[in-house]
Amino acid sequence: MGGVSTAIDITLNSLVLGGVFLIVAIGLNIIYGLSRVMNLAHGSLYALGAYSGYTLVSTGLNFFVALLLAPLLVGVAGLLIERTVIAPMRSRSIVYTLILTYGLMFFIDGLIKYTWGNEPRFIDLPAFMRETLPILGTHYPVFRLMTLLITAVVMAGLMLFLSRTKTGMTLRASSTIPEMVSCLGVNMKYVHIGAFVLGSVLAGIAGIIAGPLTTIDPIMGHEMLISSFVVIVIGGLGSLRGAVIAALLIGAVQTLAEFFITDLAMVIVYMLMAIILAIKPRGILGEGKFE
Amino acid sequence: MMKRLIIVSLCMFLSFTMFVPQQAAAADPVKIGVIVPLTGIVAQGGLEMKMGIEMAAEEKGTLLGRPIELIVEDTQVKPPIAVTKAEKLVYKDGAVALIGVFSSGVGLALAKNIDKLNVPFLSTHVMTTAFYGLNPMVFRSGQLANDQTAVGNVKGIMARPDLKDRTYYVIVHDYAWGHDAGQRFIELAKKNGIKIYNEDFDKAPIKTKDWSSYISKIKASGVDGVYMAFITNVIPVFAKQAYDFGLQQAGVKMVSAAAPGPLELEAGGEACYGIFGASDWSWDVNTPESDKWEMAFWKKYKTIPSDAAAHSYVGAMNLFKGIEKAGSTDPKAIADALRGISYDGPYGTVRISAKDNCMRNSAVLTETMAAPDNPFGAKVVMKVLQTFPAEELGPPE
Repeated sequence: MGGVSTAIDITLNSLVLGGVFLIVAIGLNIIYGLSRVMNLAHGSLYALGAYSGYTLVSTGLNFFVALLLAPLLVGVAGLLIERTVIAPMRSRSIVYTLILTYGLMFFIDGLIKYTWGNEPRFIDLPAFMRETLPILGTHYPVFRLMTLLITAVVMAGLMLFLSRTKTGMTLRASSTIPEMVSCLGVNMKYVHIGAFVLGSVLAGIAGIIAGPLTTIDPIMGHEMLISSFVVIVIGGLGSLRGAVIAALLIGAVQTLAEFFITDLAMVIVYMLMAIILAIKPRGILGEGKFE
Repeated sequence: MMKRLIIVSLCMFLSFTMFVPQQAAAADPVKIGVIVPLTGIVAQGGLEMKMGIEMAAEEKGTLLGRPIELIVEDTQVKPPIAVTKAEKLVYKDGAVALIGVFSSGVGLALAKNIDKLNVPFLSTHVMTTAFYGLNPMVFRSGQLANDQTAVGNVKGIMARPDLKDRTYYVIVHDYAWGHDAGQRFIELAKKNGIKIYNEDFDKAPIKTKDWSSYISKIKASGVDGVYMAFITNVIPVFAKQAYDFGLQQAGVKMVSAAAPGPLELEAGGEACYGIFGASDWSWDVNTPESDKWEMAFWKKYKTIPSDAAAHSYVGAMNLFKGIEKAGSTDPKAIADALRGISYDGPYGTVRISAKDNCMRNSAVLTETMAAPDNPFGAKVVMKVLQTFPAEELGPPE
């Protein structure tokens, strides 16, 4: 295997990893940016997306149908959580929702363990997605390339929704001038619900695409939650563009570090976070720039 | 007067019965602390260990004429939590011995505190060589130690032309066991002329989910063999991702320092075919004792019998024999009794060495492949290729 093919492998690996980080982190950022809730159960919703996808595919459903349905199921779960757990606490300090979602994380993890068991699961992919594609001397898994495509489509769709639709623009405005938006007759309750459901759907999408990439297990969301926090802290809390830059940066740094240094890969990632925060304490693009 | 006398006598009798030490009652159980991970990355392995120990206790029924009470605690595979749970089991619950433990890190942390805890600790799943003669109260009767696995794997590689003339890329989990397993294999492999690509082997964080960078690195190295020391649940995960990248299809063979769990193998399916490795036992071992045990396990739990369950069962039986031989629950008496004790179970005689407190037993070299028809409905089997007698695996006594 030559240098070029290795470089292609590394580049694609970092984009795939960064892409998954991005979808999870953007979901977390949308929830925080629009409703000021730091959802510590976000990783568990990501796991729920993976398990929902696994179950749907196991029942014989096509993977692409499952890719549409699983996030919707997670969205419904998000709606229930928002209405029953988050909404009653909205008038209180952020600490209340922080503690509640922390507990919720263990509740969902326990529910997953009870329903699906401890052992890892793998999503059965259509035959063509299990193949590898020759690219300049390397053979790269088709599903990983599909993941890049799905990430790009999701992000493009999200950006179009937020920048070109009235609802999207209302959501963006709600993040910076909620009082004004409220005065204009927008019911903020629906903004909060919409933000939580949208964030949950994104977690679900990330879950079902990460399932075949790695493995599905009851605690898969924990590590992802930490990585997502690293992304949103580096990018700037609540900043969508910051999250895009940070996710790609973290994906690249982690992949390169794993390839060249191996033992210290994660140390490098956290060192990078420390350096960026030392220089820009509010992250690359600053806190709260929901654009 | 007579009435008063009867009342006073009755009160005295009741007082007497209230203050008689409860331990005098024959029904007072012998409490054993079971320390296994039931949450976290190795929860499935912990559950299988618990099943094996519970099955042994149920079969044994009583110890010293008293019922056995297993008190199970979850370590979460975290050394400080395991130590706290052990303290609770000994000081609060009154456990007379500790059994179980997955992970060398957790095992070593418990061993460090064993003098303070002052009860025998018998590990059924700690593979580090540091356990040999570590402490008079610390024992191993369970999964093969790293040196024994390395001997089995090197002998297996040398005996098989399809494994022998290959260059091996070594990758391990980044903690005490993984490091020890990697070093043991490399030392022995070099002595036997097996080519190693990276003597300064890769150490991947235990929480690694995406193995793509490591697999790309293996691809770039151009090797045709991989020696992996991953915790059991992760072996199929790595194999599956390597398969996605076409590593096995390109002819790369995999040898594992630990036995993969059967449920994980089932989940991995075809991607998990072709993994070689030495272990205590596989349900493919065809002896009357093994067949009897695996059917009893299947009947009780309706899940595929695993190596983790088998050696935890045997470990528990050895501990129970030790307590009976000691004739009491005195910690030192149990520890003394455990040295040299043996149990004949699903994989033959498992004897705890009087020299170093660690077990000696025979082992098998297996290769994962499509399973023939079997009572468990398993699709993947760890097919037995070779059996090693205990003397061959060592270490010498």
